[in-house]
Amino acid sequence: MLVEESEDTEKPERSKERVNVKGKRRYSREEKRKGKLLVESALDSKDESLVDGSVSDVELLAQEVNLSDEKPSKKNNRRTSQGRMERFRDTARQNASRFAHFNTQEEDDNILSMEAESEIPSEELEEKGVEDWPGSFSTAMKIIRDRAANLNVRQGSSSSDKVQSLQIKWVPQKCKRKDWSKRLPPSLLDLSLRVLVDNADAIASLAHVPDALRHKLCHMLCDSRRMNSNFFDLLLNGSPTEIRLKDCSWLTEEQFTQCFEKCDTTNLTILQLDFCGHCFADYNLPSTLARSPNSLPALTTLSLTGAYRLSDAGLSALVSSAPALRSVNLSQCSFLTHSAIDILATSLASVLLELFIDDCQSIDAMLVLPSLKKLEHLEVLSVAGLESVTDSFIKEFLIARGDGIKELILMDCWKLTDSSLKIIAETCSNLRALDIGNISKLTDTSFGYLASGCRSLQSLKLCHNAFSDDAIAAFLEMSGEVLKELALNNVGKVGLNTALSLARRSRNLVSLDLSWCRNLTDEAMGLIVDSCLSLRVLKLFGCSQITDVFLYGHSNAKVEIIGLKLSPFLEHIKTPAQGPFQYSSV
Amino acid sequence: MKKEDTVKLISAEGMEFVIDKEAAMVSQTIRNMLTSPGGFAEAEHGEVTFPEISAVILEKICQYFYWSLQYSSYNFVGGKETEFHIEPELTLELMMAANYLHT
Repeated sequence: MLVEESEDTEKPERSKERVNVKGKRRYSREEKRKGKLLVESALDSKDESLVDGSVSDVELLAQEVNLSDEKPSKKNNRRTSQGRMERFRDTARQNASRFAHFNTQEEDDNILSMEAESEIPSEELEEKGVEDWPGSFSTAMKIIRDRAANLNVRQGSSSSDKVQSLQIKWVPQKCKRKDWSKRLPPSLLDLSLRVLVDNADAIASLAHVPDALRHKLCHMLCDSRRMNSNFFDLLLNGSPTEIRLKDCSWLTEEQFTQCFEKCDTTNLTILQLDFCGHCFADYNLPSTLARSPNSLPALTTLSLTGAYRLSDAGLSALVSSAPALRSVNLSQCSFLTHSAIDILATSLASVLLELFIDDCQSIDAMLVLPSLKKLEHLEVLSVAGLESVTDSFIKEFLIARGDGIKELILMDCWKLTDSSLKIIAETCSNLRALDIGNISKLTDTSFGYLASGCRSLQSLKLCHNAFSDDAIAAFLEMSGEVLKELALNNVGKVGLNTALSLARRSRNLVSLDLSWCRNLTDEAMGLIVDSCLSLRVLKLFGCSQITDVFLYGHSNAKVEIIGLKLSPFLEHIKTPAQGPFQYSSV
Repeated sequence: MKKEDTVKLISAEGMEFVIDKEAAMVSQTIRNMLTSPGGFAEAEHGEVTFPEISAVILEKICQYFYWSLQYSSYNFVGGKETEFHIEPELTLELMMAANYLHT
């Protein structure tokens, strides 16, 4: 989150400079910007068809910079110079966001790209040209581009503003307004849950309450910060089978030790204690979780995120008391090193299905590689936020274990490039879910690989990536039928092509995140929502360009739109009831 | 109420509640029992037994059915919404029954 802070401090400085300075100084910076833009666009995509917007922006800037050279010549009337000031300000506003995001990684990038090139043999690095993409993807790209080109030809000359070359035909339905005000009554289950959460202290016992309902109660109590040790006691009473606490930050060490000491853990299969750093350290393990070897005989799923005081030795004790572990989540356990993963690999090599080591900053990916390769049946691997994850790590790991991997979470692994995606496409034939958010080096070539390689991909999550509208549209044309979950959060270039492809292809799409995609209009949204009949969740945070025309005009009664109007707090991170594992059964 | 429009719900103690079919259909479980083409005995006789739900809870559930219909009826637009009050003592069992009945 350090990166975000530096973004925030950079932004006001730059905007101040822009606002204050109105003379020559601004023009010379704009010239510099012009230069920077051209360089960026050359590097960004090797294909010539830049998204229409950026081309016209560059041209616009070029014109303005030429005009600016004339400005210092005094004889201009005030009126025209005022007009020009307005335009400069508008252009600056348009381009502000591009420069406001300060990227600390850009400097490291230059050093790293040189390292990377020396590591990976050069044949692999020869970026295939645009037209060399795997067969059907390039055909798909051509179709998308022709779509736009044909319409451009028909329309003739366009204005210098962003070219909306595609028209989406969607008409909001009228006179259905009344139906939307007829809200569904809350279910009896929800009503009772709410009463229970309000009166949690009065609950005497949770006996006979099924696990799914216990989890719902815990979830709601944690969200409203009403969770306390009394309820925790109730949960641990009897011989519990599943305990899921998404937030243990309220739990003190004494309470944890007291409650857990008397707990009968012989039937415990799922234990989730997220954000447990405060209550959990090596020294209270022996009395609570690691009482003896095999004290947790039935435990298959363990999640101890945020256990920042857990050391390698502590983990070793845990693993010896839970020999049947198959899913382990150790995210944000910053004290663990690669030896911890060695311990896991030694004891659980033949059984471990899922491993999450997000943000474990003391774990070096390359040192962990040999242990990871030992895990024979690994299905889910999450290394989000680990800076040491590089292309060679991905390559070596997936060549060994790629065919069994079903879910790969690589968010924030910013050193990865297109060559990793190539490896993923070639080795992970069973991949169902992929998260490549915040990896800014990926280009449209990655989509070419994904489209040809991972045919069973059901969930794809992007965030802040630099993919173009055409590439995403082409990917959807090819693989959209199978897709159930798609996140295009802050993928700024998403536009009408993507909307059209979504509408045509995504029959099975259940969850869609289009937050901050500001190029999508009401018509585009309406088309998407009315055509994707399986759609149940649509996230639109930051899409202030969407108006009531869409919100009250679409005809999909089952979709829930989150992020625009007031929606209940934390609604967007509801987790559905989960079994012990994501992909296998016990 | 005509016999064809009603359904009988029988609690664990044997107490019978006769309600409109439309009200009973608020529960997905009951709806499936009564409408699915499997030839359920319940559908034929118009009776559903709940050996695990006590009479007090079942009564509350029937009240909920009618409240739910009233809530979503067209006349309700502009009317004041009444809250469905649940006594805290009943809530735990009510929650489990509601979960079972999918309502």
